Formats: sequence, C-alpha cells, structure tokens
Amino acid sequence: MFDTVQEVRRALAAQQYIATDEIATVIFLATRLGKPILAEGPAGVGKTELSKAWAAVTGHQLVRLQCYEGLDESKALYEWEYAKQMLYTQLLRDKLSALLADAQSLTEAADRLAAEEDVFFSERFLLPRPLLQAINSDTPTVLLIDEIDRADAEFEAFLLEVLSDFQVSIPELGTIVARHRPTVFLTSNNTRELSEALKRRCLYLYIGYPDIQEELEIVRLKVPDLAPQLARQAVEAVQALRQLDLKKNPSVSETLDWARALVALNATSLDQKTLETTLTILLKYETDMARARRAFKLGGGSDNGRTHR
Amino acid sequence: MEERIARFIAALRGAGVRISIAESQDAWQAIVCTGVMQQRVFYDVLRATLIKDSAAFATFDRLFSLYFGPDEPLIDPQADLTADERQLLQQALNELLQQLAQDLQRLLDWLLNGRPLTPQDLQRLSEQAGIEANESSSPYQVRRAARRLQQLLGWDQLQALLERLWEQLAEQGMSPQTIQHLQEQVARNQAALQQQLEQFAGQQTLEQRARMTRHPQAADLLQRPFSSLDSAAMRLLRDEVRRLANRLRSRAALRQKRGKQGRLDAKSTLRANLSYGGVPFEIRLKQRRRKPKLVVILDVSTSMRPVAEFFLRLLYELQDQVQKMRSFAFIDHLEDVTPHLTTLRVDEAVQAVLTTLPPGYYSTDLGYCLRQFEAKHLALIDSRTTFIILGDARNNFNDPALETFRNIGRRARKTIWMNPEYPAQWGTDDSDMLLYLPYCNEVHQVRNLEQLTIAIDRILL
Repeated sequence: MFDTVQEVRRALAAQQYIATDEIATVIFLATRLGKPILAEGPAGVGKTELSKAWAAVTGHQLVRLQCYEGLDESKALYEWEYAKQMLYTQLLRDKLSALLADAQSLTEAADRLAAEEDVFFSERFLLPRPLLQAINSDTPTVLLIDEIDRADAEFEAFLLEVLSDFQVSIPELGTIVARHRPTVFLTSNNTRELSEALKRRCLYLYIGYPDIQEELEIVRLKVPDLAPQLARQAVEAVQALRQLDLKKNPSVSETLDWARALVALNATSLDQKTLETTLTILLKYETDMARARRAFKLGGGSDNGRTHR
Repeated sequence: MEERIARFIAALRGAGVRISIAESQDAWQAIVCTGVMQQRVFYDVLRATLIKDSAAFATFDRLFSLYFGPDEPLIDPQADLTADERQLLQQALNELLQQLAQDLQRLLDWLLNGRPLTPQDLQRLSEQAGIEANESSSPYQVRRAARRLQQLLGWDQLQALLERLWEQLAEQGMSPQTIQHLQEQVARNQAALQQQLEQFAGQQTLEQRARMTRHPQAADLLQRPFSSLDSAAMRLLRDEVRRLANRLRSRAALRQKRGKQGRLDAKSTLRANLSYGGVPFEIRLKQRRRKPKLVVILDVSTSMRPVAEFFLRLLYELQDQVQKMRSFAFIDHLEDVTPHLTTLRVDEAVQAVLTTLPPGYYSTDLGYCLRQFEAKHLALIDSRTTFIILGDARNNFNDPALETFRNIGRRARKTIWMNPEYPAQWGTDDSDMLLYLPYCNEVHQVRNLEQLTIAIDRILL
C-alpha cells in the first residue's frame, strides 16, 4: 500500500514518529517482503514506540507480547480453559447420559463419546494468548514481541515456526494458519546474543541515539510548549551527557520527560539551579550524577549545556 | 550491477560476516522492490537484509564504499582548449608517444583524454601484478596492492614524461596559463585513476580471500592445548566458543526442565487448581533454584592467559544460565573485575580483564590473594555459591594460606579447581596443587577448549 520509502516516512511523521531514512526503508521492505523486523539498540530510543506508531499508521490492532524469563507456550500461544470445559461437562451431563443410555456395550458407549469429543476440544474452549490472537485475528494486526532477549533460548526456537510460516500447531486442533500476515516487530536490548536462526528470518534494524538535529526535531514535535532556544540547549546538554561514559546514558524518552519537566517548571533558560534540580530526571545513578555535575561545573557560567560539547 | 552485488556479498563473507543463502536471497528480493537508483536507500536495504549484528556495521561500511563508492568522473582536459591549442597538444603528444613503451603510452592516453580504465584493463593488470589471497584487506595492504598496479602501469616514469610534455608545449608556444590549467586537470585525473586502482585492488584481495576455505579444522583445534595456539587458531576458537556456549546452554536448560522434582508447593497448587473447584488436579512443585551463584578467582599470569580468556568468554556467553557471578583476577594481588564483565561487550570485557593486571615479571602469590579475599569479600560466599579457582597453583614458594582456603571452601557449596597442568606435574617445583587438593570438591584439568567446556558444564550442574 506504500509505493515508496518516502511515503512510509511521511505516514510515520503524521503519527508523530520521526523516522530516519533507515527506519523508513526497513519498514517499507517489511511490508513488501512480509518479513519480521528485529529492532535492536539501547533502551528508550523508540523501538517499542515504532511499532505503536506503525499500528496507528495502518490502523491495525496492536497485539503485544512482553517477554520475560520463563515465558512459555501456554503464556504466549494458547491455553485450554479447563474450568469452562468442566462446567460444560457438568451442565451437559443429562444430555450425555441420554446419548449413552441405549448403548449395548462399553465399547459402543466409548465410541459414541469419542464421536462427540470434538465438542470439548474446539476453539470454544481455547484461551488465545497474544501469538494466537495475532495469527487468528479477523483483521490484520501488528504483533509486537517486546524484549525478546529476556526470554529463554527455547522460546526463541519456538518462535521460529511462527515467524517463518505464520502458523502454529495445536495438537488437538491441527495447524492454524494466519488469515492475515501480521506485521511483526521484535525488539531487543542486546542483553544477550539472539540465535542465528532467528536473526536470519528477520530484517535487522539498529536504532541508535539520534543526532542533535533529529533529537531536537523529536523534542519540538512531542513537547511543542518548550521554547525553541531552551529546547536546543536541553538537547545539547543531553547529547553532551551521552559523551560522558556514564553507567546509564539518558534515553530519548528521558529527554522528553526532562523537556516536559522544564515546561512544567516554567524554566526560561538552562541555568545552574534548574540543571541541578532536574538532573535526576535524566540520570538514574548517583555516580552518574556526580560525574555530570563535575563535567557541567567545569565550564562554569549558566550556559552549561553548550560549554561541554 | 547484479554481478557486483554478488561479489560484494562474497566479499562480506570473506571478511568474516556470516551471511546465509536465505539472507542474500532476501537482499535480492528487497533490491527488486526498491531499485538501486537511490544510493542511500540501496545502502539501507543491503544492510537491513544482510547484516544482523551491529558489530559488523563497520565491516559493511568499509566494503560498501569499496564496491559501491562514488566513482570520481574523469574530466576531459582538452575540453577548454581552442582548436589551435588542441592541435598543438596532439602534435606534442604524438612526438612524445613515439618514444614510449606501450603501457606508458596507454596511461598517458587515459590521463590526457579523461577515460577511466575498463574492466578488461584492470583484469589484465591484476593478473600481471599477481594480487594474492593471503594479503589481508586492511587499508594498508590494499594500498600496497594498488601501488603494485601503479608500478606496472609505469606511474613513476609518468611524472618525468609529463614534465617533458609541458616543456615541449611551452617551447611550441602554448600560453603558461593554459599549460597550468592542463596540469591541474591531469593531476586530478591522476588522483581519480589512483582511487579506481585502489578500489579495484581492495576488491581483488577480498575476493581472493573469500574463495579460500575458511575453517580448517575446528574440531582439531578443540583438542589443541591452549599453550600451543597461534593467533589465527585463537581467532577461530573464539568463534567456536559461541557455538559451544549454545550447546552448553541448551544442555543446562534441558537438565533444568527434566529435573523438576521437588517438594509440593501448597500455595501454588491451590491457586492453580482454583479453576477445578479446588480439586487438586494439577500438582505444582517447588522449583529448586538451580542456577548457580559463582565466585571465580582467575590467575592471569602469562602462562594462564589463554585459559583465562576462554574461560571468561564461555562464562560471558552463559551469563543467562548463572544467577550471579563475581569475578576476581590476580597475579600478585587481587582485583575485582566484575564491573568489566557486566557492562562491556564480550571482546572489550575480556580485554579489559586481561589488561587490569598487565603481564610481566610478577611473582604470583595466591596465598596473599586468598587472604585479601577473606578479608574483603568473604561475605560473597554462602551455602549456594560455587567457588572456582582457575590457576596452576604455582606459588613461587610463597605461603599457600591453606587455612584460609579451607575456610572459604567450608562456607561454599562447592569448591572447584581448574588447572591447565597435567596431574603428573602437580606438586613438582613450586606447585602447591597437592596441598590444595584435599580441600577441593572437584579438580579439573583444562588444557584445551574441550576440557574447559566439560568443566564448565559441571559448574552449571
């Protein structure tokens, strides 16, 4: 439905997502080739946000699967609703005894029961989890598999079938094939290496920290109330912080939080005091704070953000 | 173009980037979708489909500019000349050309007429120059190969010839400004031609390498002692480590799954069976925390370095199978190297650990280090911790601090010693291995990667 990379880019921009050429190209390819996207990069650069924006662009439902250690099929794919099955068995007891009443032998009774078995193992009693939801949905979906690197290696292997063929096997029901191929986004914070097999099936997208222009554009778009001059100072300060070899670099989402805080505080410029009081929004470690304070003080004056680039 | 992309992929493989057939197929399909007209999109497309690891981006960028980098168009120096001047040049050229050898003639022809080299020319040149496969694709080597091509073309004689050409033109009455103009343009053509040669030389060396078989015998290497590895073998083994780690991981995970017998977990069972009206239909067991907590003390003196390196690599890859790991390195004193391992990528981490204590003529002193450990870090060891020492126990006749070692061992769940020496060597000279031996639960000999893998598998048990 999108003919060029530029169209993708514009559509994302309309959803307030500033996409680089690379991001737009990869998404364009994913729609053309029907391949999942594996987005990697530091935390808080907008990997998850991208899939949300894309769901908004296409108007498809977003199905999200958050991965964690110990995630297994029954949490990700489906589960039988035992309680409902039990309840139905109880309620249908009379019917069942009527059905079996005139059976001549045990074998015959068992055969008759077996003929009705499908009633209890049908989709009626299936509790769909995110993966099945995405595959079985009547309308196209965007499937977000978040932080895949947190799940175990076995789960990764299990995902392979889903990602390459867009189908899942349920022993009692057979194979369910996707009616609409979902657009799949996998995100990873790179805490461990993913398997080659999984990577092979995906288009790879590395989202790093934006450069100063891109970040400024993002801030302007998301926090329009911030004065342009101040926005520039703030972004410069954040970019300078990222050069400092900190334990945890401030992410884009933290830049936005900070920008919103500056608006809330009615700050007019980035002076010593404002910086001092709001630095905790950007930095989450005491050692990082100390380092940042030292770095910013070295330059002196009120225009701290700029003196350290 | 198609051929060039195929050669580019082969070169990437040659440079050590793993690209499967499926991935190169994706790249083709993707290019069909987007076309090759926009350089930027073309770059993004190839990178998204071929490269699946941000660490390989640098290689990709280097090769991309080599294969698809901008070709500097050659300028026609004669374009701005008047008809008279052109005739003058041709005349001078003709006189000069008669005295020239064939190759040089062609080179001069290229420069003065602004024609780039054809693929046939390049092919012929490279055959003459004999660019070899074992040359690495480092910028330096590429330049050397390019230099050889230039020599073949007679580049050095060229400068002298051009000087004579300018003189001749001046004698025949061309104005100095025009000559200077001509000189500048020829110089620019020279630079462009040089770049073309460099690009070509870079491609050649890479392709030669891609054609060579890459993995000699990984299996053999597994059994080669660490002490006999050269740097090429070390590189191969580093790749192998990841595969081994994967195998270990799935083994450990399987064990964990099968070994799920334990005591009844009443709370969880009740909760799980609420949907059956409280009838205990599904039994839940208390899961034993099976992932081990490790405290590792590594000897990083010169003899132990390779072992320590591979040990660290394996454990780094297996971090998700370990609940907690604290690592210390020592030669003559103890250093906490945990921060390196938790914050850096594997190569940097291993490098950082090994450089914390630079090798040299240190006197290894395990006894002192054990005491240091007891004084500062004893609280790390509890009944669930596995205490691991990786070292040859050669203590330079220092006090082995046996009592301390025993103390630590008593607090730990298990004490495991890994020693790269043959058991027959234990206890000879300054080796204190036999003294430590009674206080260890397990002792493994780790001379090669295979033994190391087995030993680490035991730790994860």
